[in-house]
Amino acid sequence: MRNKFIILVLIGLFIASFSIKNEPIFVVPQNWPKPHYDFNKNPLSTDKIELGKALFYDPILSRNDKISCASCHSPYNAFTHVDHALSHGIDDRIGTRNSPALMNLAWHKSFMWDGAINHIDMQALAPMSNALEMDSKIENVVAKLQQSTIYTKLFYQAFGDSMITGEHTLKAISQFMLTLVSANSKYDSVMRKQTEFTSQERKGFELFQQHCGSCHKQPLFTNLQFENNGLPIDKTLNDFGRMNITKDAKDSLLFKVPTLRNIEFSYPYMHDGRFKKLSEVLNHYTSGVQQSKTLSKQLQKKIILTPNEKADIIAFLLTLSDKEFLFNPKFRK
Amino acid sequence: MLSITSYAQSATKISFNPVFGKPVLHLDDSCYTTDSICISNFKCYISAIKLLQNDSLVWEEKNSFHLLDAANEKSLYILLNTHSNLKYNKIKFNIGIDSATNVSGAMGGDLDPTKGMYWTWQSGYINMKLEGKSKLCKTRNNEFQFHLGGYQNADNALQTVLLNVTDNKEIVIAIDLQKIFTVIDLAKHNQIMSPGKEAVLFAEKFSKIFSVQQ
Ligand code: HEC
Ligand code: HEC
Repeated sequence: MRNKFIILVLIGLFIASFSIKNEPIFVVPQNWPKPHYDFNKNPLSTDKIELGKALFYDPILSRNDKISCASCHSPYNAFTHVDHALSHGIDDRIGTRNSPALMNLAWHKSFMWDGAINHIDMQALAPMSNALEMDSKIENVVAKLQQSTIYTKLFYQAFGDSMITGEHTLKAISQFMLTLVSANSKYDSVMRKQTEFTSQERKGFELFQQHCGSCHKQPLFTNLQFENNGLPIDKTLNDFGRMNITKDAKDSLLFKVPTLRNIEFSYPYMHDGRFKKLSEVLNHYTSGVQQSKTLSKQLQKKIILTPNEKADIIAFLLTLSDKEFLFNPKFRK
Repeated sequence: MLSITSYAQSATKISFNPVFGKPVLHLDDSCYTTDSICISNFKCYISAIKLLQNDSLVWEEKNSFHLLDAANEKSLYILLNTHSNLKYNKIKFNIGIDSATNVSGAMGGDLDPTKGMYWTWQSGYINMKLEGKSKLCKTRNNEFQFHLGGYQNADNALQTVLLNVTDNKEIVIAIDLQKIFTVIDLAKHNQIMSPGKEAVLFAEKFSKIFSVQQ
């Protein structure tokens, strides 16, 4: 009897340690759609993710070894750049757009405010080569990495090959970014019936679904489409968004709908960071929307909200903050 | 019963031969005097290589992506793992990278983005690069730069070439760059750096300068 008990305990311990070791690296949250990313082409592994993380935080990716991805996508702010409306790159050069918060990217079909990048693997090439951002290029980055014994070792562990290639560099960076999943906010707990909204949050949620939910669609809080939400053009930037890529007038002033998850932490807002506070964003939707040929149809009719209703929506938006995501040590250096 | 037909493996060699009217292309400052054109860089992707007998497909290369670089002799030869009984009289291939591959993320070998044939500010492969100088170009240092690419809808610059061959062990294909300058007006067109109508038109003309050398 006693022996049997010990064996059971041992088996139990064995199973427990096994499942901790094999803790799934990527979990599709309950009731979420299937990710867009094809993991068969780049199967996740702990070593590759760790390598990707090292690269994400390493300024070696820039010309002068000073700017890393995290310089503009800080883990302390849902992976965006908080103090700057427009991104701040190498030699203090100012970019032309606000850096987006990075999360749930495995579900995204295109990247950048205008969708210029067609695959997350190819994303890192853009900042590496942009003269205002990291001002280098993948050829030079790979050459620098190849000189580093730490990286040749990490690449060997991850890919079984210490010859560093552009493909492996990019795939590793993707792997790290793909693990940035945020799905554990208060809103998520409410959806899973583990907790409840306050009455203000619930009112805000209803108003949100009515006025905002078609573009900022649950559960990602973006429909991943390009829309014109009526921001008047900034004449100093003349950024026509999606039209820059498609050259189609129908796409003038359309921008990729950003997620609103962790929105409390990803100010300033919009592609050019023109708003610092959520209250300014709500004022835009009620009284700042500019009519134009390409204005999305949901916004063609004026949205009317009382000050209390605006406060309710903001209370709801704050339920999208995901502490587990925001303070996850796994995502930090 | 199972009947197993085994073919002896053999190789068919394709040699690409970039020329400028004359037999060899040189990538240096000595211009071709007649046109005062010098070429400093010529690279292009060849993909989806197929062999045909009349109109039917008899052999196709798997994972068929090759980057030709005039500055790298070795890149100009492609060995096809064919078999000895193969009868064919046509070769077909694409110039550039197809749309599906363009949206498939990071890839290695000749498709590795370190090869300098990938646009960074907007995703997509550069199918062909041709750079050099000519007095006809009223640009900085009289330079011309053609970076042809684009994979979406009307901007798709991928070209298909079909050539008659004899089923020899070696197929020699000349790419006569001089011909391209007889059909474009360098004074007017000397910079193409992004996908669009102009790139597609140029790519069509470019596909016509491939010919089999006997
Ligand atoms: C100088 C600041 C800066 C640096 C450095 C930088 N980024 Fe960005 N990032 C931006 C900006 C700005 C945008 C939006 C640009 C646009 O839309 O044109 C962006 C967009 C992105 C996006 C698209 C997100 C989306 O939702 O579409 C991803 C992913 C990304 N960056 C990852 C990276 C990675 C990986 C690195 C390092 C290799 C990096 N960034 C380095 C500023 C930066
Ligand atoms: C027609 C689609 C649409 C509707 C409806 C809509 N939005 Fe947006 N929203 C967008 C787009 C597109 C952007 C990005 C615009 C840009 O930067 O040019 C955006 C940006 C935002 C941002 C800034 C996010 C960031 O990270 O910078 C917030 C906050 C926001 N919307 C909240 C709301 C709220 C609240 C409502 C409802 C009152 C709403 N939106 C309704 C399309 C929409």
